[in-house]
Amino acid sequence: MTGGATAVGYSGQVSSDTFETEALSFLDALYRTALRMTRSEADAEDLVQETYIKAFRFREQFTPGTNLKAWLFRILTNTFINSYRRRQAQPEMTELDDVSEFDLYRKMSDARATSSGDPESEFLERIVDTEVKDALGELPEKFRTVVLLDVEGFSYKEIAEMLEIPIGTVMSRLHRGRKFLQKRLYDHAQEHGIAALRTPQKG
Amino acid sequence: MDCDDCVERLYAFLDTELTKAEIIEVRSHLEGCDDCDDNFLFEARFLQQLRDCCTTDVAPAELRQRVILKLRAASAPPTTT
Repeated sequence: MTGGATAVGYSGQVSSDTFETEALSFLDALYRTALRMTRSEADAEDLVQETYIKAFRFREQFTPGTNLKAWLFRILTNTFINSYRRRQAQPEMTELDDVSEFDLYRKMSDARATSSGDPESEFLERIVDTEVKDALGELPEKFRTVVLLDVEGFSYKEIAEMLEIPIGTVMSRLHRGRKFLQKRLYDHAQEHGIAALRTPQKG
Repeated sequence: MDCDDCVERLYAFLDTELTKAEIIEVRSHLEGCDDCDDNFLFEARFLQQLRDCCTTDVAPAELRQRVILKLRAASAPPTTT
């Protein structure tokens, strides 16, 4: 009998194995998100373990056939917000300078007009993972969380439900978070690399 | 739909969060406007790169082991003392 679990959730020996197998398939996704949230490997590991223990304890509340990944991420974000955030070493900034008007595409097309190359491709090709991760680390937490959940493929509605915020707030945090990352990466590119993007020398 | 309306829907479009009717409107603007089309393409490449860069890390092998042990311990029948 395999259909019974559908009605009663994950309980009993057979379905706790099923739960284990299915839940563990999201370990990498939970870990990398926890790592970006806590910005510490040790905290990320603790947070992930706590998430699995809670998920297992409350597994009967999960409705099989619904999105297990979203359910696990909801536990992860709640656990992070309720306990880990409080013990972050540095009280971090909670707001962003106004970056929402930053227009990377416009900067690229302006650069293209005055150079022979392809600044857009040059810019994208030279972005390295460490730069993106550093920029993410500088992003205030409430924006970072939304960006990370988006990267993991959740819809606006799923993110709104996980964080218990309106969909409009998800959209504006995602927008501003992305603009912040673009501005950081652009500033970095201007300082370090791309000839076409270098600030013109003042004469 | 003008360029401002179109760019305002850029992320919702790329995030596949628009209604069918809105998608048709955005698409028809993009077909006739090279600048917006380039803009959307550039942002799509940027978001893909962000996604690629953020989804490569894997959990340490010993974390997987520890989680499995914890789950097994939690699912074992309670022992009487």
